[in-house]
Amino acid sequence: MADLALSIQQVSKVFGGIRAVDAVSLEVTQGERRVMIGPNGAGKTTLFHCVSGAHQATAGAIRLFGEDITQLAEHERTLKGMGRTFQISSVFVDLTAMENVQLAVLGVRPTKWSPWRSVEHQPGISERALEKLELVGLAGKANVSVKQMSYGERRQLELALALVNEPKLLLLDEPCAGLSPAERQRLFKLIQNLPRSLTMLMIEHDMDVALGLADRITVLHRGQVILEGSVDEVRVNPQVREVYFGQV
Amino acid sequence: MTQRRKILIVVLLAAALTWPFIGGQYGTSLMTQIFIFGMLALSADLLLGHAGLFSLCHAAFFSVAAYTTAILQVRYQVPTALAAPAGILMGTSLGLLFGLSVRTRGVYFILVTLAMGYVIWGIGYRWASFTGGDSGVTNVPAPSIGGFTLSTMLEYYYFVLAVLLLVMFVYHRLIRSPFGLALRGIKSGEARMRSLGFSPPRHLYTAFIVSSFMASLAGVLYAYFNKFVNPVSASLHVSFEAVLMALVGGTATILGPFIGAGIILGLRNWVSSFFELHLAVMGLVFIIVVTWAPDGVIGLLKRFIDRRKAGADHG
Amino acid sequence: MNSFILQTFNGISYAALLFLLASGFTLTFGLMRIVNMAHGAYYLFGGYVGLTVAKLTGNFGLALLAGGVAAMLLGYVCDRTVIRRVGDDHLAQVLITVGIAYIVGDVSLKIWGGDAQKLPLPLFLRGVIELPGGIVYPLFRIFLTAIGIAVGVLLWLIYRRTQIGAAIRAGVDDREMVSATGIHVDRLFVIISALASFLAGVSGVLGGAFLTVFPGAEWEILVFALVVVIVGGLGSLEGAMIGALIVGLLDAYGRWLAPELSYFVLFGPMAVLLLFRPRGLFGSANMT
Repeated sequence: MADLALSIQQVSKVFGGIRAVDAVSLEVTQGERRVMIGPNGAGKTTLFHCVSGAHQATAGAIRLFGEDITQLAEHERTLKGMGRTFQISSVFVDLTAMENVQLAVLGVRPTKWSPWRSVEHQPGISERALEKLELVGLAGKANVSVKQMSYGERRQLELALALVNEPKLLLLDEPCAGLSPAERQRLFKLIQNLPRSLTMLMIEHDMDVALGLADRITVLHRGQVILEGSVDEVRVNPQVREVYFGQV
Repeated sequence: MTQRRKILIVVLLAAALTWPFIGGQYGTSLMTQIFIFGMLALSADLLLGHAGLFSLCHAAFFSVAAYTTAILQVRYQVPTALAAPAGILMGTSLGLLFGLSVRTRGVYFILVTLAMGYVIWGIGYRWASFTGGDSGVTNVPAPSIGGFTLSTMLEYYYFVLAVLLLVMFVYHRLIRSPFGLALRGIKSGEARMRSLGFSPPRHLYTAFIVSSFMASLAGVLYAYFNKFVNPVSASLHVSFEAVLMALVGGTATILGPFIGAGIILGLRNWVSSFFELHLAVMGLVFIIVVTWAPDGVIGLLKRFIDRRKAGADHG
Repeated sequence: MNSFILQTFNGISYAALLFLLASGFTLTFGLMRIVNMAHGAYYLFGGYVGLTVAKLTGNFGLALLAGGVAAMLLGYVCDRTVIRRVGDDHLAQVLITVGIAYIVGDVSLKIWGGDAQKLPLPLFLRGVIELPGGIVYPLFRIFLTAIGIAVGVLLWLIYRRTQIGAAIRAGVDDREMVSATGIHVDRLFVIISALASFLAGVSGVLGGAFLTVFPGAEWEILVFALVVVIVGGLGSLEGAMIGALIVGLLDAYGRWLAPELSYFVLFGPMAVLLLFRPRGLFGSANMT
């Protein structure tokens, strides 16, 4: 039995009277690429927030590589090897691309407290940052302020931020949302070429991307898991077609 | 560092060193004041320009440090070598306490720091048996360490300048360090910082303490400069002005707060010589700067230079 | 024991005054996300205008009205010319309204001078009333408390029981939603602004009658009002009521028990709150 990267057990998130996530259970094995699909409002992003720690789950338990992280704060979970991107671009608009990635590199290191030597002169920081910028194709824009970057470029930067510390689990929330077909292709290839040792949990609306990247698919509807299976199983399932494809 | 920057630094340094001979007694006194209040403004700007926190309690640290040093020297004859550090320590300790305020953000932070600052003023004013109330603490002696006493305005000017240069150097290192970048990250997107592994409250609390340290240092320098300390030094007005100076000069810069201090203090001195309503004039400056020049003098200069560069490129 | 009751009444009457000022501030913020530091200046200006009217006409009711209207007009002018321009930027709002407060304060100083002046009271409000237990209490403070309660009840009824109130509450929760429902948002804003500054002016006249009007009063009262909304929670009317009561009582007891450190009692509740509930008793979590 392969090790579980992520184990979500009966997790619920309640807002006021609304059950955004309703007793969801999910297990992702190491190295697996799991995609979550479901119509808008299905609770996918809220579930992500519970996993990353942006929200505290109302009930249930979350284990990362066997360790119970349910009570850990968001930043603590990042330190355990979790990386994530956001559905709505949340890069640092007032800073340059390089500064953005430098922050990501610093976030998991005690160097983030260093008050004396400038960031550029801190050993290893800028090199790692530049490496990841090159990977996502933004090396040429390292010193450009994010304000002046296109939406597509910001999404690329978003991915660089999530990848730079070699996370063990990567949460991708609609990484291709709002991109042109060419940009989408590019990002798709980038994600596809990520090492297989990296476990991925991804939310995606674009069926081509989802079906192209997934090992297994989990379908969410109204906060609940209605189906989980291989790509082929999900593709032909009538309930899914009704709930999801019927929306198109 | 670019060539232009180096030249600028040399020019400014030369100007600062020769100023007393150009400005005379009055000018030297004014410039010392500008250095001291510029330092206060810089301390407020660490929070405002870099961390995005608009603090209105900096006069409290400034004043508590000034009072501590003054009271120790005047009432208990404590020598400068102990009184000055004690002042800085007291002010910074207050910073440790007031740092609780970083549990709030945005408007709440502004209101909480405003109220905290006011409470210190109130205590300075009401606790007359200790602080001297309205009349304050007078006859602060000239600072003296070892056998060396800074008894003239000129000597004190150069002392303050030396301290200032040291502060600016350390500040410069701080804001270019990972710590400084982290503050700017928090200002730009606190939620994102959490997901990157930072704990913003810890960084902000630390920044707050550093800021209170700087303000306290300015306060001690003020006590010896003014030779008397009264509750006005803790007033809301001083806190507002510190922020205004940073804004007028340009936030998130090192020179900005000092340029701002120069403009505000210069303006006040000039205006009050022929016009009574100088607070109203200050109010007008607030409104004008915020409405038309939110990036301050440095921002305006940058825009001007950029436009000329763009023009030259096209020409 | 008598002293305790006396101080309690003092606290309650001061709370009434604070509520009149704080309610406008908190609703202005709640609905329009505007931090108006000039609120204290409206108080001051209203108080001075009321003072002049009271001295000229001897009519206290007229003075109240004049003070309220004067502050309302001042508020309207400031709002339309300057405050509107800065939108949601709280830093800019604070600085601009502080600037306005400086200007109003300085001009008032020029016009009315630097001495603390007390508003002359009509005969029927002067003097004392004897309460059960032999306590003698100034009639005016009871009058003030009555006004505070009356205004509080009125505001609460409007806030909780009318359609306009529902619109305001909805607006506090979600501004965009309100305009989507077709309610005239701009008109609502103007009404709330006007009400807030009117109340500020009226409280200035009332304050002037027992605390005196003096240069600097605008900051003193503003800070107290701010602590009220910090404790009570920005945007909450109930918060302003409870907050005012807490601050008023603590201030009274503080002055009685430890006058030299009495300002310190302002810090106490704030510190406790900061430790356990930074958004105040009734503040909502998404207020920034």
